[in-house]
Amino acid sequence: MTELELSAVTVEFPGRTALRDVTLRLHQRRIAVIGSNGSGKSTFARTLNGLVTPTTGEVRVHGIDPVRQSGQLRRRVGFVFSNPDTQIIMPTVAEDAAFSLRGRGLSRAEVRERVAAALHRVGLSEYADSPAHSLSGGQKQLLALCAVLIGEPSLVVADEPTAYLDAANSRRIARFLLDEMPQQLVLATHDLRLAARCDIAVRFEDGQVVDQGDPAPVIARYEHDQDES
Amino acid sequence: MISLYRPGDSLLHRLPAGPKLLVVMALALGVSLAPADPWTLTGAALAVAACYLLAGLGAVEIARQAYKLRWLVLVMVVSQVFFLPALTMAANVVRVVVVILLANLVTLTTRTEQVVDAIERALTPLRRLGVNPSRVALMLSMTITTIPVIAGFATQIREAQRARGVPAAPLAFVVPLLIMALKHSDDLADALTARGID
Repeated sequence: MTELELSAVTVEFPGRTALRDVTLRLHQRRIAVIGSNGSGKSTFARTLNGLVTPTTGEVRVHGIDPVRQSGQLRRRVGFVFSNPDTQIIMPTVAEDAAFSLRGRGLSRAEVRERVAAALHRVGLSEYADSPAHSLSGGQKQLLALCAVLIGEPSLVVADEPTAYLDAANSRRIARFLLDEMPQQLVLATHDLRLAARCDIAVRFEDGQVVDQGDPAPVIARYEHDQDES
Repeated sequence: MISLYRPGDSLLHRLPAGPKLLVVMALALGVSLAPADPWTLTGAALAVAACYLLAGLGAVEIARQAYKLRWLVLVMVVSQVFFLPALTMAANVVRVVVVILLANLVTLTTRTEQVVDAIERALTPLRRLGVNPSRVALMLSMTITTIPVIAGFATQIREAQRARGVPAAPLAFVVPLLIMALKHSDDLADALTARGID
């Protein structure tokens, strides 16, 4: 797997510092990012896709600078948000999936073919012509994943992808992200069962990396600290 | 447009969106300018019904679409009944109903994507004036997508107010709706950026 590198990255928002001097080098396929609310997980995830620009420091995602090479980056990095409602851009399921292929110079027939294949992959073929907002929460999140994967990214960043879903849909999305998807994955999550299935866990607290390594001990220490506080 | 499209393979489904929109505009103009003659207007109504049947939508769909217009018809009748002769009033109502049914027929047989593409093509000459047709088309698509989202916010607010026993007050409804809509627009901007649209 290629690398994600952060060198002395600090991200400041008005009135608060979201990331403090974070230096990380990650190459594992499935990377879990855990931590309390406001710990910096989401900011870290957004930094990888250029949605957040570091105040200081440097980020390299598979050798690409997310700020200076944003166009190139967005073709390589897909982002799944926690709220499936806010990532639907086009009115119908097939149109929303096809939207990710805009500006790639593909013919209509190629787009149709890739949309059909991508919808089939996530089990949404029968909803192709349905209004995207009429789907259930789990189906919307699958559509969001489909819209990301259709662009064939090499890295998928998912920020709390199961936060709005029930147990069955969470399992479905988790299975897809962790077991079926071949891409490198950065999964920011509060669901420690999902984090435990990753290859490495990185724990953020107060904008800093406070622990990282094999998921089981990192999670155990995190749970211990949570119980203590 | 939001949820009306019915997949099919009829002649009307296969007709390109651009010509279809032009024909509907021409027909709408024709019906609007047609004399208030019962035979002409009955003919127009029958022609629209025939188009629905041609599109494979069936009589039930015609009835459903017409039923949706009941309040509009009521308002039109009430506002005209005392001021206009019965024939003129009936002609006005039929004209409006026929034009709306025609417009609905386009949405029932055309994918949003095709309509947006047609509008994008139609706007291409305006590129010289600095208009970006792709942006306009995207804006149109997103507007269509956002309507059910905003409607969902409105339902959430009403339910939250009811659950807390708050009496209906316009300000207590509009302010949270605006905040939710603004938050949604922020999130949507992030989603657009994440999908490569800056």
